[in-house]
Amino acid sequence: MIPATLLTNALLVGAVLFCLGLVGILTRRNLIVMFLSAELMLQGVSVTLVAWSRYHGDWGGQVLVVFVLTVAACEAAVALVLVLQAFARTGRLDAAAWQSLREDNLPRAIDRELPAGDSVVPTWPRLTPAGVRPEADASQSLERDHV
Amino acid sequence: MDPVSTTPVAQSGMLLAGSIAALASALWLLLPKASDTIASRRVGALLGALALAGFAATGRSLGCVGEDAVFLTVAAVAVVSGLATIVTRSPVYAAIWFAMALAGVSGVLLVLGAQFLGVATIVVYAGAILVMFLFVLMLAQPSGMASYDRVSSEPMLAAAAGAVLLGLLTLSIGRLSAAEPAACCRMPSRVEAAAAAATGTVPEASPLPAESGGNEVAHLGAQLFGRHLFAVEVAGVLLLVALVGAIAVVSRGEATEADHRREDR
Repeated sequence: MIPATLLTNALLVGAVLFCLGLVGILTRRNLIVMFLSAELMLQGVSVTLVAWSRYHGDWGGQVLVVFVLTVAACEAAVALVLVLQAFARTGRLDAAAWQSLREDNLPRAIDRELPAGDSVVPTWPRLTPAGVRPEADASQSLERDHV
Repeated sequence: MDPVSTTPVAQSGMLLAGSIAALASALWLLLPKASDTIASRRVGALLGALALAGFAATGRSLGCVGEDAVFLTVAAVAVVSGLATIVTRSPVYAAIWFAMALAGVSGVLLVLGAQFLGVATIVVYAGAILVMFLFVLMLAQPSGMASYDRVSSEPMLAAAAGAVLLGLLTLSIGRLSAAEPAACCRMPSRVEAAAAAATGTVPEASPLPAESGGNEVAHLGAQLFGRHLFAVEVAGVLLLVALVGAIAVVSRGEATEADHRREDR
């Protein structure tokens, strides 16, 4: 059993995580970041369940969190496969790339103008080359130099 | 009577309203959009910190924030990393920040006394699910910053909705701790305690966190494989079905591509 102050603190943390995940899944357009936001909401719910479970001395909440973990693993596996298939079709991880699936009477979402400040390409750290540089076929290269 | 002097409850209510507004504007300033500057993002971060401090102060005035420094630290790690997960531009960095948030959540679970779930969060989420996310990002990320990572849809409405929802949740959580004896949530534990005192037995499922120690995991396991055994079996089937389904979707996609190529020839 945990004291009531710890219960309310944990409930607050769970609420904050849930709301952050909600904002993320509503606003972000990258499919993978949307799934990360959904996982963030699941984490908030897990914290809430464990807090109530510990407060009441009842094990149901923790058992439920075990199943939340299981379902999250299943969901991530299936969802990421679907994301990969969607990327193979459109070449983008953009949720708005699939807006042709919307209802006929809904307006088309229009891209707003891009921010100017982020156009600077950041410099990433590089490892010091060691040994002879291998002969690389540029067309076959899967190497990416941007994150 | 001085009109400025208000009751503590009204003051904390005003503080809560101010925190909601500050959090909404902070989220709106931090989310990707067209009129971005470095300065506006800094103002957003500052406003967000102020808003969180306001929420904490509101909680304190409602008797919520405890003294546990460990809990405050891990909770701050979880919340700040969660915020960074949704506002950062690069999806790879979002995944890394999410791992950080998972570390914080795991710490919160450990402080709450759920050892197994704290460890399982790290092992299952950070060890397996997050690595899967990073693999998919490696396979699917176009090089350079994508345009859709730098704009977000309806940031103002979503930020306001999230902040208002958080305010409502804070209010209801504060009501839990404010209404001491009348709160319905207190009743079961008191009834249990009274029943235990009456029968002279120690309630089996409520060990104190300090002395529960290794019993914690054993109790959870006994519950899982005793009372919830059927659900565990169903979860196993669910995992198997998800595995088969994922493989089926991948292989069917490859098969159709191969079919298209054959048709092209």
